[in-house]
Amino acid sequence: MSTNTKILTQEFEYFAPKTLEETLGLLCKYKDKNTKILAGGTDLLVKMKTINLNVDYLINIKDISELNFINTDGGLKIGAAVPLSHIERVGKVKEKYPALYEGIKSMAAIAIRNMATIPGNICNASPAGDTIPPLIVYSAELKLVSKRGERTVQVEDFITGVGKTIIKADELVTQVNIPEINNNSGSAFSKKSRVKADIAKINLAIWLERDGNFCKYCKIVLGSVFIKAVRAKKAEDLLREQIVNDDLFIKVAKKASEEIKPIDDVRSIAEYRTDLAQVMVEDSLKLAWGRAGGEL
Amino acid sequence: MEKQQFDFIGKSFDIKNIGKATGKEIYTCDVNIPGQLYAVVLRSPFPHAEIKKIDYSQAEKMGAICISGDDVPDILYNERIVSIPEKTYRDRTVLPKDKVRHVGEAVAACAAETEEEAFMALKKIKVEWGKKWRPLINLDKAMDPDALQIYDHVYLGEERVDINNNIACERNVDVGDIEEGFKEADEIVERTFSTQRVYHMQMETKSAVCVPEADGGITVWTTSQGIHNVRILLGNIFNIPLSKVNVKRTTLGGSFGSSIQMNSITPICVALALKAKRSVKLVTTREEDIYDHSKYPLKTILKIGAKKDGTLTAAHCRVWVEIGGHNIQAYPYLGCVAGWFASLYKWKNLKYEGTAVYTNKVPSCAMQGYGNPQINFAVESLIDILAEKLDMDPIEIRLKNYVGKGDEFWGQGPTVRSIIRSCGVEEMLIEGSKLAGWDKRTLPSKKKGDIRRGIGVARGFHTSGTGGPNPGEVIDYSGATIKINEDGSVDVLTALMDHGGGTWDAGAKVVAEVLKVPYSKVSIYSGVDTRTTVFDVNTHATRGVYCGCGAIKYVAEKVKEILLNYAATLFKDLPENLELTCNEELGQAVICPRGIPQNYMTLGEIAEHAHITSWGTIAHTATLRQKNCPPCFITHFVEVEVNTKTGEIKVPRAVIMGDSGTIINPDLWEGQIIGAFSRGLGFSLLEETKYDLNNGKLECNGMITDYKIPTTIDMPKVGSITVRSAHTYEPTGPFGAKGMGEAALSSVGSAVAIAIYNAIGIRFYELPITPEKVLKALKEKEGR
Amino acid sequence: MKKIEIEFTINGKKRRLSVKPNDLLINIIRNDLFLTGSKYGCGIGECGACTVLLNGEPVLSCLTLAATVDGKEITTIEGLAIGDELHPMQKAFLKNGAVQCGFCTPGMILTATALLKENPNSTEDEIRDYMRGNLCRCTGYIQIVKAIKSCENNLETS
Repeated sequence: MSTNTKILTQEFEYFAPKTLEETLGLLCKYKDKNTKILAGGTDLLVKMKTINLNVDYLINIKDISELNFINTDGGLKIGAAVPLSHIERVGKVKEKYPALYEGIKSMAAIAIRNMATIPGNICNASPAGDTIPPLIVYSAELKLVSKRGERTVQVEDFITGVGKTIIKADELVTQVNIPEINNNSGSAFSKKSRVKADIAKINLAIWLERDGNFCKYCKIVLGSVFIKAVRAKKAEDLLREQIVNDDLFIKVAKKASEEIKPIDDVRSIAEYRTDLAQVMVEDSLKLAWGRAGGEL
Repeated sequence: MEKQQFDFIGKSFDIKNIGKATGKEIYTCDVNIPGQLYAVVLRSPFPHAEIKKIDYSQAEKMGAICISGDDVPDILYNERIVSIPEKTYRDRTVLPKDKVRHVGEAVAACAAETEEEAFMALKKIKVEWGKKWRPLINLDKAMDPDALQIYDHVYLGEERVDINNNIACERNVDVGDIEEGFKEADEIVERTFSTQRVYHMQMETKSAVCVPEADGGITVWTTSQGIHNVRILLGNIFNIPLSKVNVKRTTLGGSFGSSIQMNSITPICVALALKAKRSVKLVTTREEDIYDHSKYPLKTILKIGAKKDGTLTAAHCRVWVEIGGHNIQAYPYLGCVAGWFASLYKWKNLKYEGTAVYTNKVPSCAMQGYGNPQINFAVESLIDILAEKLDMDPIEIRLKNYVGKGDEFWGQGPTVRSIIRSCGVEEMLIEGSKLAGWDKRTLPSKKKGDIRRGIGVARGFHTSGTGGPNPGEVIDYSGATIKINEDGSVDVLTALMDHGGGTWDAGAKVVAEVLKVPYSKVSIYSGVDTRTTVFDVNTHATRGVYCGCGAIKYVAEKVKEILLNYAATLFKDLPENLELTCNEELGQAVICPRGIPQNYMTLGEIAEHAHITSWGTIAHTATLRQKNCPPCFITHFVEVEVNTKTGEIKVPRAVIMGDSGTIINPDLWEGQIIGAFSRGLGFSLLEETKYDLNNGKLECNGMITDYKIPTTIDMPKVGSITVRSAHTYEPTGPFGAKGMGEAALSSVGSAVAIAIYNAIGIRFYELPITPEKVLKALKEKEGR
Repeated sequence: MKKIEIEFTINGKKRRLSVKPNDLLINIIRNDLFLTGSKYGCGIGECGACTVLLNGEPVLSCLTLAATVDGKEITTIEGLAIGDELHPMQKAFLKNGAVQCGFCTPGMILTATALLKENPNSTEDEIRDYMRGNLCRCTGYIQIVKAIKSCENNLETS
């Protein structure tokens, strides 16, 4: 027992740059040190308190105006410093991206969502992160910027394992881009947890595109069932370009539950996660299909 | 007895909690003394290990004041001194001197100018560990004859007791002859039940502030349910005359039993302050707190027999409790479990065998019910099974066999018994069943669909205090000083604690009612300590209203007598000819000769007269022991919705019937019942402190990220929870009142489990009933 | 560690402080400003007892670095009443028996005021959902939800 969650005793240097340029300069300067970005702090400070995550330089990006925007023209573009609660209040998010809306709403509680950000949730790279499955099914990408230049990376490719991502030490996630969704598509998010303000035992997002009674395209992503959120690609294959009916959904759901590799941990057990994956995929497929205007 | 009309009893006054709503209330963690040092505690990472040496010289070089086992007195004590000395087991010192017995046990502590400095210094303390052993986590493993001994010997009172097979203590009770009883039975049922370890999760973590005084004494603020016991213990441990130990009564941020005993950190804070000769403040972290106390788990094998008509003939109850690394109160606990078991139904013949076992886990202690919810889960579940076997309605079998008016109730184990004089059991079962729509209940076999609803009934109780006609093994008395101020307002000085359930509010109302002084002019909420009050044992055992306010009422009546005698001299009349009433217009108590209301004097005028004529203060101090322990009853009708695809359980509706006699604080009474219901749902469906069998650590690692308690959404909606009171009057209680607190939790788990059975036809014998367990059981049942 | 000069408004008053980078807002509020109404409950953002309003929005002061509130506006429970006149939410909590031990109450009340400011006509489900991060071990929440519900459309009077 070597923690004290009342205080923070680690010593670090603190920066509160006002511009992106300044931030990138700091990141470049301290790229070889333990440098961390403070956006919401809801994961970072917890780790500093509980697992003594080492930080030498801390860069607060909360008040950088260039990172505080939500643009709804043609998809969604969300700045890296925007708190989750501000995203959930945007009408278009609820209407067009319900899986993201529901994913965010399912997270912790309002005070946390007033602090936490999407890039924070993604960079934390927990297998149970609630924004991750929705962002993957919507083919969201992250804009990574450094002094060296910028690049965009699909959220799906960004996370490589528990707490691991491909971000370089001098890079900053500046925004999340989510492509426009076409009107024939539907999506859904589902999560099971011990209580309602909690980390997922299992979560998932589904997005599908409908063409009459055909499913033209789909993505099924499950969280908290592997070292990172995973696409159930075999299940997707079963559904893609097929005529949709109840039996098919049952088969797809079963396949999805066979693809995942959950473990026993403090929140639940592998067997339950597998059973629930099937139930939740089936229910969410129906919901997404209905939202796409499909009937069963 | 007739129900009385009251001026204050049974009314709610919004002002009572104003400090809590404005942020002004001072809890121990809010107490700051100029120049105080901040203390932190070093805790064991090992579940069972020898301490060879503790070197804190590096920490001292950083300016910290440090203590380890070598710095604390050699006094072996028990932190709970509610039981009489010869029934109190002693197995601990302020800090361990030879070995640690659970992860998280304090081994050293240090204090410095800031908490940050103290914590940095703490990291420099070097502990040289000797032998380290694998933890004994499970009850059966700990009792194995080959198991390592956690203790060699302890003391019971002054007597040395050798510990064998890690058995801390045992307790057996026999009434009648169960062999004969079971012979008479037409139906016999037997099952094994177990309940888990649950963390109190009171919102305020344990804290203490200690000021070493110039005269060698100490002043202490600490999270405590009974300040006088803390005073006595600190005086004994540190060899300070009790006249020089002053413990302040401070508002508690919840407790649920975890501060009946003196908190483990309280003497640590005192030891640091005495060594530093400076004031020290010690506020524990949440992760320290969860490693400090736990509810007692219980394993029960219960066998009961009944005749065809449902009349019970015998019961055999065998229980085991694993108590963790220290024995705080296992012996009285085993007695109480016997009492709760014996007092639920008329078993006719009963046998009870209880065993408490040491393990390398967090020490268990009381948590709302003191074994009652645990044994109730076994008894009520088995009664439900028996009713089904006998094809009887579960309500009918309960009505036939319950222990009620005129019967004997064991309020604190076999040595504290009294005759029940008020009982609302019948009314609660019958009226509750109407409110709950019991007649619409269908059998499990009739349920269909993915979502299945079920309803369950269970009944419980708790004692009100620990008094009996003769003093038993438990110390139980309370007291107060009540004085009428010079303006007619009233000060109530009592050590009686309030956990938030409204004990002080009740005390103020009782005084207002006796002296007819407006509630707003009775002051009870702050400003007292052990030096200014007479003894009060503790706010535990649901004794606050019945015993604590019982004593306050007794003192208030003495004050009234003095007042009327004095007034009689002013009116030149006899005291019995005078009438004391509350004049709402004047906002004062007034006294007048009977039948001549216009000829009144206000209490303010009388008090002022007593003052300016130097007659003296109209005041009285006394203590009182209640000589009964009336049960307060509860009945839970709970509806559940089981999702058979996910195993999830929702509780859409509940009807809860309570019997507290006269209700003194209606809003808080209801709040206590609903609050207990939420804790009961946590206990039934969600909560458990699980341990890693290899390293003895909590699976949640001390972080409540992985110890969840119910949130707003996990409760039924406002209109879906009905709370009603039985119409009873307890003749031995203050204005007819009994308790409620702990009773309210006793039958929640049982009712939930029974409702789940009614929904899906599966019995659960272990709590908590998680979705994982439900789904697994459903799959097994349906061969999925 | 280099100290940082910050200036912020707390309960309507401007304060200028010099803080360490690792100072947590909760400790500055409680230990330096002696506003002890904000409570430490867990330190890791799980219980809500340390909730304060930052620019009007509930945040957790146990996970907020003091340095980051530079230029911002903070309201703690001590800042809700105007003089002796309690905020309607405080009155509602007292009237509905929503306060027992009181340790969660400051955070509860602050979160509830933010909810009704955001959505004055919240349904019971919306209230239950919004309040889910403020843990209470005493009351079972029912009277808290009742209190908040009773306060609807009543906040303008504050």
